[in-house]
Amino acid sequence: MVRSTYDEMYDVRGDCRAHYRTFARWLAATPAEQLEQRRREADLLFHRAGITFTLYGDDQGTERLIPFDTIPRSIPASEWRKIEQGCIQRVRALNMFLSDLYHDQRIVKAGIVPAEQVLANEGYQLAMQGIDLPHNLYAHIAGVDLVRDGDGTYYVLEDNLRTPSGVSYMLENRKMMMRLFPELFAGQRIAPVNHYPNLLLDTLKSSSLVDHPSVVVLTPGRYNSAYFEHAFLAREMGVELVEGADLFVRDERVYMRTTAGPQPVDVIYRRIDDAFLDPLAFNPDSMLGVPGLLAAYRKGNVVLANAIGTGVADDKSIYPYVPEMIRFYLDEEPILQNVPTWQCRKPAELSHVLANLEQLVVKETQGSGGYGMLVGPAASQAEIETFRARLKANPAAYIAQPTLSLSTCPTFVDSGIAPRHIDLRPFVLSGREVRLVPGGLTRVALREGSLVVNSSQGGGTKDTWVVEEPTVAAESREV
Amino acid sequence: MLSRTAADLYWMSRYLERAENMARMLDVSHSLSLMPQGGRGDGLEELAMPLLITGTLDAYLERHGELDAERILHFFALDADNPASLYSCLRAARANAHAVRGRITADVWENINATWLEMRHIAAQSPANFGASHFCEWVKERSHLFRGATEGTIMRGNAYRFIRLGTFIERADNTLRLLDARNQLMGDEPPGDSSARDYFQWSALLRALSAYEAHAALYRGSPRVAQVAELLLLRPEVPRSLRSCIGALSQILAEIPGNNGRPAQRMAAELEARLRFTGIEEVLEEGLQAWIHDYILLVRQLGSAVHSAYLEAV
Amino acid sequence: MKLAIHHGTTYRYADQVRASIQYLRLTPQDSPRQRVLDWALELPQSAHAQRDGHGNILHVLTLDEPHQAIVIKAHGHVEIDESCESESDPGSPLPYLCSTALTAADAALRTFARSVCGKSRDRAALIGLMERLYQHMPFTPGATRVETTAAQAFALGAGVCQDHTHVFLACVRSLGIPARYVSGYLCAAGSDQLVSHAWAEAWLEGAWYSFDVTNQLARPERHLKLAVGLDYLDACPVRGMCRGGGQEQMHAQLQVVPQQQEQAQEQ
Repeated sequence: MVRSTYDEMYDVRGDCRAHYRTFARWLAATPAEQLEQRRREADLLFHRAGITFTLYGDDQGTERLIPFDTIPRSIPASEWRKIEQGCIQRVRALNMFLSDLYHDQRIVKAGIVPAEQVLANEGYQLAMQGIDLPHNLYAHIAGVDLVRDGDGTYYVLEDNLRTPSGVSYMLENRKMMMRLFPELFAGQRIAPVNHYPNLLLDTLKSSSLVDHPSVVVLTPGRYNSAYFEHAFLAREMGVELVEGADLFVRDERVYMRTTAGPQPVDVIYRRIDDAFLDPLAFNPDSMLGVPGLLAAYRKGNVVLANAIGTGVADDKSIYPYVPEMIRFYLDEEPILQNVPTWQCRKPAELSHVLANLEQLVVKETQGSGGYGMLVGPAASQAEIETFRARLKANPAAYIAQPTLSLSTCPTFVDSGIAPRHIDLRPFVLSGREVRLVPGGLTRVALREGSLVVNSSQGGGTKDTWVVEEPTVAAESREV
Repeated sequence: MLSRTAADLYWMSRYLERAENMARMLDVSHSLSLMPQGGRGDGLEELAMPLLITGTLDAYLERHGELDAERILHFFALDADNPASLYSCLRAARANAHAVRGRITADVWENINATWLEMRHIAAQSPANFGASHFCEWVKERSHLFRGATEGTIMRGNAYRFIRLGTFIERADNTLRLLDARNQLMGDEPPGDSSARDYFQWSALLRALSAYEAHAALYRGSPRVAQVAELLLLRPEVPRSLRSCIGALSQILAEIPGNNGRPAQRMAAELEARLRFTGIEEVLEEGLQAWIHDYILLVRQLGSAVHSAYLEAV
Repeated sequence: MKLAIHHGTTYRYADQVRASIQYLRLTPQDSPRQRVLDWALELPQSAHAQRDGHGNILHVLTLDEPHQAIVIKAHGHVEIDESCESESDPGSPLPYLCSTALTAADAALRTFARSVCGKSRDRAALIGLMERLYQHMPFTPGATRVETTAAQAFALGAGVCQDHTHVFLACVRSLGIPARYVSGYLCAAGSDQLVSHAWAEAWLEGAWYSFDVTNQLARPERHLKLAVGLDYLDACPVRGMCRGGGQEQMHAQLQVVPQQQEQAQEQ
């Protein structure tokens, strides 16, 4: 089956798109050896700075670099504004949904989301019932994964409302590009992203009702795969990076252990899953969390960012309802589209899915990381039959979507420059206002034809540019 | 500063100091064991000394059965299962340093990391090829480099203070234990009739603690117990003496901001004052061994006070 | 019936504990079945009360002075309406469909539940399930531990009230019926034997119905409810952690005395 694929740089006739022209001219004018030398330099710098992710602990030197591609993904500013508005709209609605879910459940009563879909969902946390959070915010930091289909339309693939990661790569990739190719940034207006840590700190501070809140980053520790990012963000924000054992609870307040005695903590940017936060309330074997944290949290004495129990809103079984949420809470039409989704728990939709497995992507509702899914067009007959059996046994655990082609972007590969599939994760910060820095993390599937961009499965990253189209803007202003 | 960070810095330097002390001890035992033993034979007593000092004699005997120069050397140099081995100390120091990579300078980190990588490289070869003395020298050198890098590059703040606290607590304990062990070994001998042996023993101890030259400068003649004890316990001029270590600890503790360290600060100041106003004749009158055992306990208590004030701080 | 309760728990540690923190669910609440006349907790240090996500009253006790034992006492009087069969609850029962690590149903449990209940999902079916379950796993102290899961206990064919309740919850939830863990006190009929106890509640026809598997009771009698949750870990009376302290030993003394009996003793 032949599908059309949208390329970010070239249109169907093979002409360079307007917002890439400056870059394309530069690329054509730069000798290949020089590019090659700069790419080697980038690798060296990333290694030296320790910008790595850990595979299986650090002792045997399993720290790996996530491959960095020096051809940027570029988005025209006008297009970005729509993405930005769409993400803001979506995250606002999702936060309102979470607040509603843990209070009046109006959306359930209105019959828009079935009660058992949310209340019997494993992501729904009873621990969140009956407490009010400052500013009714649950997902302070959200990552919205976007992909583009053949005609270039942006679709939201999923919302990440628990502990979305990858923002350190967005920042380091930009730093690297500016260091390697300063001339590119002189020649055109590329929107800056490096103020993200400031915005994040501001968001975290404003999430507390305390006047000058003390903020910490809570990490599972240096053997966690995203430890680099935790340390990076703590350093950039100028706050302490703590582990569970550094914190303790006394009289329902959280303190950190310091050489000058206990210091109160008001906001915890936690990069630990719900189940590990408090061994007295959740997983009793967790050595990562803080005993008593939930009691302090429910008392309103500490802010967790993100809140406990946001997983119910980014579950794949809830995803199909997001457009309805936007209409229900905001009385607006969704700016960004959902990928059409069949809910296998509905018999009619299940039979459609079973009849079309070869063309569909089937995902587990509780799965993540790209493991528990079937990509129909790329699967063997045996794999399809395995999934067919699983679907029939437990239909409610699956959804299905059409196979999107995912846009491509020129990428350095062994044979030179070739198109590879990409996605985009902008990071949405919700505080007094909902904001994002222009851009995000672009992940690229380095294998030819592959649609899997996850770093755990050989994905790489690119710098993401939002560029003003100077000529077009200037002309339109003159008219 | 987070207590955990302080603890990692403190233990990083304690382990490095421990490695250096172990190397000093091994070097001396090894060379003394090669000396004629005045009719007592095989130098086993000398070889066993590091086992006695570190309290690992039973663990060693259980694994290796008999005292053997080669095996003891391996036990203390490369045995990954012996927590007192140089290998274990350097591994632990590197793990602590890794945990606080953001708090130490690249110079210090790279020194410790390189030491560990080279240690692994040496361990992969046969240690015998490397030479016991050469190996001990190498460990001492790496420790000197660490101190130099710390002195020359670390900002004068809490990180610097906790690094130094670890060094001096470890060193104070070590000096006491080495003097104790040598003194007990000498005590078994009838006094007076073994001056050659006395000489070797005391000079070996002084060399192990880099105090041989200091002794020569401050006293005349062959080392004797009173002088050696005074030098290593009470003289402020000797960098590895108890007095020097406690003086440094007291001064560092006084500089750490906050009130929760008061018990530790008070204790260090009291210990320092006691040493300052004690004469060696009083020590000998009390009995050198009893006096040393008292101080080993006091230094351990000071370590606990530092621990509960800063490193776990509930 | 009026019950007078004196409950004392002493936690002893082998070594001195530097600090400890406990979540206590030791305070009963008013309901159609039970009316709390008076209630008090005696704790080594004052503790604030709050409500947990299940609506239970939770005290958080933090001790940061070194200690070797913790003594927790609860006492009070509660009036029980024995005729009351079920209780309603304003919250949705749906979250009690979720399983937990302790209450996950494996294939054996699912098969067992379906074979006993067939297509029926009513109270009679669950009473049948309760009976069959007890036959399969008779009350056997010492066979299981606090962390034994429902599937493990079922495979062993033995357990105590905690295991009975977990297995029952796993089966009932696998049938699509919300069910929850109840912890409380029980005064056994016809004796003055008084115990800390656990039983289950299942959501049928718009109300919570009790199922005490261990005692084969489909309606509560002298059951005093303290807390509810998804499993033992959610509802247990005391859940704590300490720093230092070595082996922990727990000594509980329990007296739940029917009021008349207590008066009789006084006379």
